[in-house]
Amino acid sequence: MTETEPPMKKFKHLDDSSTEIFEKYIQKIDSNKNLRAVLSDDFDQPLKLIKVFVGHIKDVKDISRTILKLNEKIPLKELQHLKRVRRKDVILCPINFFNNTLSIQDFIESSVPELKDIFEFFKQAEVPLNPPKIDRHYQEAKRIWSCNFHPNKYLDKLVGDEFFPLCELRTHRMYMKVAFEVAKWYTINKKIDSINLLINLNTTIVVDPKLQSIVALSFDNRQEHPMQHSTMLAIDNVAKTQNGGAWPSNQDKDYIGIPEEILPYLKETFPSLKFYRNDFILESKSGTEKEDRIYAPYLCTGYYVYMLREPCVMCSMALVHARAKRVFFCIDNKKCGALKSKTKLQMITSLNHHFEVFTGFI
Amino acid sequence: MKRALVLASEALAVQEVPVGCVFTHNGHIVAESRNSVNITHNPTRHAEMNCIDFLLDYCKKNNINYENYFKDVNVFVTVEPCIMCSAALNNLKVKEVVYGCANDRFGGNTVLNVSDFYEHNYILSGNVLADEAMTLLKLFYKGTNPNAPDSKVKKKTST
Ligand SMILES: [Zn+2]
Ligand SMILES: [Zn+2]
Repeated sequence: MTETEPPMKKFKHLDDSSTEIFEKYIQKIDSNKNLRAVLSDDFDQPLKLIKVFVGHIKDVKDISRTILKLNEKIPLKELQHLKRVRRKDVILCPINFFNNTLSIQDFIESSVPELKDIFEFFKQAEVPLNPPKIDRHYQEAKRIWSCNFHPNKYLDKLVGDEFFPLCELRTHRMYMKVAFEVAKWYTINKKIDSINLLINLNTTIVVDPKLQSIVALSFDNRQEHPMQHSTMLAIDNVAKTQNGGAWPSNQDKDYIGIPEEILPYLKETFPSLKFYRNDFILESKSGTEKEDRIYAPYLCTGYYVYMLREPCVMCSMALVHARAKRVFFCIDNKKCGALKSKTKLQMITSLNHHFEVFTGFI
Repeated sequence: MKRALVLASEALAVQEVPVGCVFTHNGHIVAESRNSVNITHNPTRHAEMNCIDFLLDYCKKNNINYENYFKDVNVFVTVEPCIMCSAALNNLKVKEVVYGCANDRFGGNTVLNVSDFYEHNYILSGNVLADEAMTLLKLFYKGTNPNAPDSKVKKKTST
């Protein structure tokens, strides 16, 4: 705090109204409602269907040999998740599978002549295009057509609304409160307009969940330096805890990832909060060199990142480069958010690292 | 671009991902840099970001409005800028970006078209001395990134 006069006094009126909005957020964050994972759009959208030709078998006794023959002559390839038969209906092929000047009767007669008299009639039907990934999709899919399902317990939990157990949820919500307290502190002490902050700026808290301590945090500086979004500063502050870093800053001498100006306020506001000291690593070294190497921090590997607002494209990609494990944010960034609003970077399969994203704090 | 390639080989010599970058302003070289991720332990210190920081500093020291300044900046970089750097360059409204080889893993055009998210876009072109740029990358990935944990080494790391 470098102000000669305590800013609280000087801007008393301004402070009350400008920090009020943060108090409101902090109150709302303090709930027991579970967080939501931001997942692929597939999970929200209705089941995708594909049109296929179906043949209705005259005699049930012919079913098994029909299936064998069809699997041999017209395998379903991309529709392996579907059972070929449902009661007396058998999937023949997708409707765009053969030249459409041919009728389905002609197609069957020419490609599987053995089956030409098996069917009573042909029809078109819509069946699920993709294998169901979650139980809800499976339930929906099997009402339309019988299909195979390999349940993924983790994914089912992730799409559900009870992902985090209560104690863990409290922790995530506490760190999000820290993000808002940091914003509040800078609003008061750096005279930043709170509305501007909530629309344009950000705060970032990086936590090591194994040590349950804050490794690094940062407030936005893009008004002074257009690259210094709080995420970029936080990543650099993490680098400082690993004897690196590129930007000069006024970090605390013991808690290298934390700006020294905010530390006393956070310690007072959250007495139980732990901060990461570099000697944590030395203390927790357990002897064998192999274990040490596993423990040595590398970028943001294993770290959770809590942010006031959904990060922009630059910052989101920076978090991919940094290999963050999970990203939590409170406020959607409709204009340029890259984890939910404009795109979902975490869903781009060709990237080399993927983190989980959670929101739903308010 | 030849100068950028020299910078990239300098990166290779100090075991950084070999990407080099030159910024010009009205035809004059005003900034040059290379990747410095490993030395800084900061995965965002790409060649482009280093050049950007250098020029922002320069503008500040000389009381130049950086928004005006970057409008006349051309960027030459040996590898297609990643999603992060593309966003940064769009944000700063640079005039043009010319790159060597495409970036299949992280490219701000190849992997995700970052220009979709920004109103102002720069002119983008590639394939300038691409083979030379690619050769450097291949040399790097033949060795290993000394800072990455074993399991991560096999996948290509950041450029
Ligand atoms: Zn950002
Ligand atoms: Zn980059």
